[in-house]
Amino acid sequence: MKKILLFLLILAVGGGAYGVYMYNKPHKNMQRQGADFELSAAELYSEFENDESAANTKYLDKVLQVTGNIREIIKEDEKVSVILETGNLMGGITCELDGFSEHDFSALNEGDQLSLKGICTGMLLDVVLVRCVIIS
Amino acid sequence: MRVFSLLILLSLMVGSSVSAQKYFTRNGKISFYSDAPIEKIEAHNIQSTSVLDAATGRMEFAVLIKAFQFEKALMQEHFNENYMESSQFPKATFKGEIKDPAQVDFEKDGEYQVIVTGDMTIHGVTKPIEAPGLIKVEGEKITATSEFELIVADYEIKIPAVVRDNIAKTVKVSVELNYQPLKKGS
Repeated sequence: MKKILLFLLILAVGGGAYGVYMYNKPHKNMQRQGADFELSAAELYSEFENDESAANTKYLDKVLQVTGNIREIIKEDEKVSVILETGNLMGGITCELDGFSEHDFSALNEGDQLSLKGICTGMLLDVVLVRCVIIS
Repeated sequence: MRVFSLLILLSLMVGSSVSAQKYFTRNGKISFYSDAPIEKIEAHNIQSTSVLDAATGRMEFAVLIKAFQFEKALMQEHFNENYMESSQFPKATFKGEIKDPAQVDFEKDGEYQVIVTGDMTIHGVTKPIEAPGLIKVEGEKITATSEFELIVADYEIKIPAVVRDNIAKTVKVSVELNYQPLKKGS
């Protein structure tokens, strides 16, 4: 009887600890995350423009490494987003920099070429990547 | 969202002659707050896209569900995979208009209380909504803010009984859209 109680206790403590761990599970570390796809900003945009639902199936929740020239850098409150040129007049790739990582964007200027990796969330007017970290 | 970009391109062409009639943003903020007995949950999205036509009062916005960011990774995962099914329904959209747009003078600095009505689509379900809002005109900059509540069950979002006390049945949504005039080439 005691053994069963002890076993149940261990199970409960173990389960509880696992629950707490899961509850506090950290967000993916984007610096260490490998890219699932590597492509240019123009390629990514045209895939979404041509067939959005196919592109959603392929890229949503995936880590993409995207390279392009900076169209605009938007700083608002503490958050920074970089929009990459795609060759399209309106649509770009919006890359929201990761709030959990450190970034050195002081040296970035409009027109510079930039590679970033981030998680693809889909397309509005722009294709939007979140939690981006700068590669080079 | 092809239609949406087409619409913007179209308004761009039409709008170029009467420049300051249409306003646009690609980094509007949308947040929501769930205040339940066991925990408070909030999530923020700073990449929402919106167009506002000053002449007619028509207003649209769209937001990507997966771009909402939570403090806890697990909540974000459950939100996307279990409740919002965001791979199947990646966007939420609103299409509507300002009731009585004539009361807002977009040429004159000031704050204007408005009521916005229209259709909200979330999780593939469209419902009519009405919300109070504030439009602030400062030169060429237009800021529109609103706070309203949404009933989770209205959008057929199922919350399992186990987490019933963790997630509020009514979620408070706050919207802050910082419009710029839509000009050719911008």
